[in-house]
Amino acid sequence: MKPQNDFIHLIKAAYADFKRNKVRTFLTSLGIMIGVLSVVMLIALGLGLKNYLKETFENLGANMIVIMPGSGFGGEGAGFAGAFVGGGVDFDEKDVSSLRRIANVKYVVPVFFKSSLVKSGSNEEYLYIEGVNSDLFGLMNTELIEGEIFSKSDVQARAKVAVIGERAAVNLFGGVEDVVGRTVRFDNLRFKIIGVAENTGDQEQDNSVIIPYKTTFGSMNPDKTFWTIYLGVEDEDDVEAVKTEAEEVLSKRYEEDDFSVTDQTELLSTVNQIFNVVNGVLIAIGSISLLVGGIGIMNIMYATVTERTKEVGIRRAVGATERDILLQFLTESVILSVFGGLLGLLLATLIVLGIRTVFPAAINLLAVIITLVVSSAIGIFFGVFPARRAAKLPPIEAIRYE
Amino acid sequence: MIKLQDVCKSYFLGEEEVKAVDKITLEIKQKEYISVLGSSGSGKSTLMYLIGLLELPTSGRIFFDKKDVSKLSDEELSRIRNQHVGFVFQQFNLINKFTVFENVILPTRYVKSNLDFDPLKRGEELLKKLGITHRRNFFPNKISGGEQQRVAIARALMMKPKIILADEPTGNLDSKTGDEILDILEDLNKKLGVTLVIITHEKPVAERTKRKIYIQDGQLVEKYL
Repeated sequence: MKPQNDFIHLIKAAYADFKRNKVRTFLTSLGIMIGVLSVVMLIALGLGLKNYLKETFENLGANMIVIMPGSGFGGEGAGFAGAFVGGGVDFDEKDVSSLRRIANVKYVVPVFFKSSLVKSGSNEEYLYIEGVNSDLFGLMNTELIEGEIFSKSDVQARAKVAVIGERAAVNLFGGVEDVVGRTVRFDNLRFKIIGVAENTGDQEQDNSVIIPYKTTFGSMNPDKTFWTIYLGVEDEDDVEAVKTEAEEVLSKRYEEDDFSVTDQTELLSTVNQIFNVVNGVLIAIGSISLLVGGIGIMNIMYATVTERTKEVGIRRAVGATERDILLQFLTESVILSVFGGLLGLLLATLIVLGIRTVFPAAINLLAVIITLVVSSAIGIFFGVFPARRAAKLPPIEAIRYE
Repeated sequence: MIKLQDVCKSYFLGEEEVKAVDKITLEIKQKEYISVLGSSGSGKSTLMYLIGLLELPTSGRIFFDKKDVSKLSDEELSRIRNQHVGFVFQQFNLINKFTVFENVILPTRYVKSNLDFDPLKRGEELLKKLGITHRRNFFPNKISGGEQQRVAIARALMMKPKIILADEPTGNLDSKTGDEILDILEDLNKKLGVTLVIITHEKPVAERTKRKIYIQDGQLVEKYL
């Protein structure tokens, strides 16, 4: 019969040594712990940022297509800023009605956009002015805190009514209560607030006064043009087809470089791409601490081998092979390393749980797998040289070593 | 059982070659009780390590059970040491972080095939036989030298070896305890038929053995001077 599983014995022997050198064991593992902690934290924060971006984009409307002047979004990224710097064309109502004819398009929202000093009583604040139709509320899944949205007939009637974003209301009035029914003034026009829209997470949207686009057709927007047009599609699968068709429709009137048609996933994937590179670089920097931790383990293992030369000799005398000795020391370095890795992971988990209250950081399975694989690999890689030295010790010299 | 043929073993001390064992030819038969007598530095310990397959000769050949050991791999040499050779050292050479019992059963950790006995049971039996059961869970540095040497003998016996090689087994013990240890070793030779080789520089120890081998400057000599 066999006395005991080899592996169990190896672990027991390693444990006996760790117990004798508790402080040293802990300090050795600390290096790996810090390395794993920093890498896992970077992954977790990266994931958090990704989640945050995704949520923000989803709030913008999941199946949304954005038509902007200029050839796609530049360095400023997506949205209105692109429209300002993009140059190219100004869209008009003709475009809106031809886009509306595309199959499977549920919403078409012309967007007039500007920034104005908005006054109400003695309060005044620079806010965004968004001239849109009532489709916007459907497309953006607008939730109202108070009041109501404006209707199609309000748009046609060029009614001077406004829905104010929650953030804008807070900025202007200091709160959202009793805002409905009040009057705001900008660009020499007076608007009655009929609703307050809940914050969506989109800074521009939340800090806007939303009015019917036809109401802007005057001194505010004499050319009757729009910065951008949003399309809303019922089914995600139709996004590609609608995009292609919108491009075709618009290229009848404009040069291809004068406008761009993008959907959210495209935007998201571009942002993600940039973000992945940044995250990769950060993780690479974090990995340096793992490397340092590994060297720490190697250092200690060399010291351990010297310290235990006599033990190696004794074990060889009673029948241990070179391989047995190699495995013994390798097991120790791997345990040290994995122990440190698990500590790091535990600590990272606690920190992530802490910051989750303010930021959607997350630890995923990948982080756990990376921790285990990387810390084992470090244990093996940095442990193998000292372990080989131990295995190759001549038994006689080892046994005579004092 | 063991045959040495023109065996040399040399070391390098810096540039200088030192011949620790110089052309020794020797045969040890099963169940023999032999002493190897020599002064310190005579090469007697090196001879023991060569017999115990802890070292390979620089030249010459060693046969263990008619097998030429110079052709064996580390795995095979380790297996023979594990199965057939028991070492007893002057310094006891126990592992201090293991208990007495763990030290005794240590050789069974390196068995690559199945054992024909229960190692835990045999460990207990050996402790009893050597009168150290009460020290079972002690660490070696907490017991007396005589007791430590008994633990070392128990460890050497664990795998039921064919030969026990004892290097100055009484060197660190007072004469009374030393005699007790020698009695135990002799008993093993008589009752169990274990081949016993005792390396010593003490004539009284050598006097107890049936066959005496004298070694001087790495060579066998007729008579110890």
